[in-house]
Amino acid sequence: MTYTSLLLLFASGIITGGVGALLGLGGGVFLIPFLVLVFDLPMHQAIATSIVAVIATSSAGAAMNLERHTVNMRFGMLLEIATVFGAVLGGITANLLSGAALKKLFAFLLLVVSILMIRRARQRRTSEQVHLDGALPGSFIDDATGAEVKYTVKRIPSVMGVGFVAGNVSGLLGVGGGIFKVPAMTMLSGMPIKAATATSNFMIGVTAAASAFIYFANGHMDPYIASPAVLGVLTGSILGVRLGRKIKSHVLTWIFAVVLLGIAIQLYLR
Amino acid sequence: MHKPVTDAIVEHWTSRVLRFGVWGSAALMIVGLVLSGLQSFTLPAPEQNPSLGELAHRVWSLTADPIILMYLGLVLLMFTPIIRVIAAIAGFAAERDRRFAWVGTIVLVMLIGEIVYSVVGR
Repeated sequence: MTYTSLLLLFASGIITGGVGALLGLGGGVFLIPFLVLVFDLPMHQAIATSIVAVIATSSAGAAMNLERHTVNMRFGMLLEIATVFGAVLGGITANLLSGAALKKLFAFLLLVVSILMIRRARQRRTSEQVHLDGALPGSFIDDATGAEVKYTVKRIPSVMGVGFVAGNVSGLLGVGGGIFKVPAMTMLSGMPIKAATATSNFMIGVTAAASAFIYFANGHMDPYIASPAVLGVLTGSILGVRLGRKIKSHVLTWIFAVVLLGIAIQLYLR
Repeated sequence: MHKPVTDAIVEHWTSRVLRFGVWGSAALMIVGLVLSGLQSFTLPAPEQNPSLGELAHRVWSLTADPIILMYLGLVLLMFTPIIRVIAAIAGFAAERDRRFAWVGTIVLVMLIGEIVYSVVGR
């Protein structure tokens, strides 16, 4: 370890965490390819580093969202039963797979994420329809309108099914999995997007912690790499959230969706 | 007379737990990195990650070097969501919401089972 590599790791954390926060994704989607393609780290070590970075950003974000009352704690904890189960299985599977196989799986994940990003950018936001006849009621004050938004959730078992898959992907590939959970929570259970994003973020830390210990016990966590990367991602995500309030560009989503597609091809071919 | 525990109070305390975990671990990692940098990063990272028992022993015996401090930061971060689950269980129990205290307990048992599996399976 040299001062230069330490600074480079910190800087890469800031960039990947910042871009992730700007696009509403966890830092892992960008951090892992960065660590593998630029720093030539083994895939398992890159995933382990990303997992702790994901815990840091999710916990910091969840602390803020809890104070704003946008998290539905009961729904989140119910879904955690499925996501934690998925993450544990994912973590065990990842440690049985080779680095090359994980690289190919991650390339496929990036392809799916970039397609979902393009879809999201193309979608016109329609007014949200909330239901009041479901279960686990929640409410929060919408910052944009100042009005209180009340809602309930529906189709909990179906969302738990998606939660299991998201948790499995998180444990297997070291990402948060919010890109799968948030659409399920809004479209299936009828949750307002702000509550769904905050509740998904609240769950991500627990899901990531479920597989983090497996990677730690298997010796994939190098403190010289994980510490500067985690500190960088944490700083980057704080800056990204602040910048995101000023920049609302679909163009940005398009650009990074294409960038992710390029990274996916490069990872697959490597 | 005791103030009744509400969702807002539970959310506030859960938020505090998360803040403490994140900033506490960040502080440990920064101190570890700075101390390590002062020694020009000459301390080699161990081939294998230390076990949780080894980490606890090094702290208890006051023989923690900068690398152990960084490990402690990472482990504190990994434990933060678990402590958050415990805080939520305590909150739901104080609210007399038995059903969700049990839901939290199931999540906690799964997490503890996974830690035991990681330690034993090593």
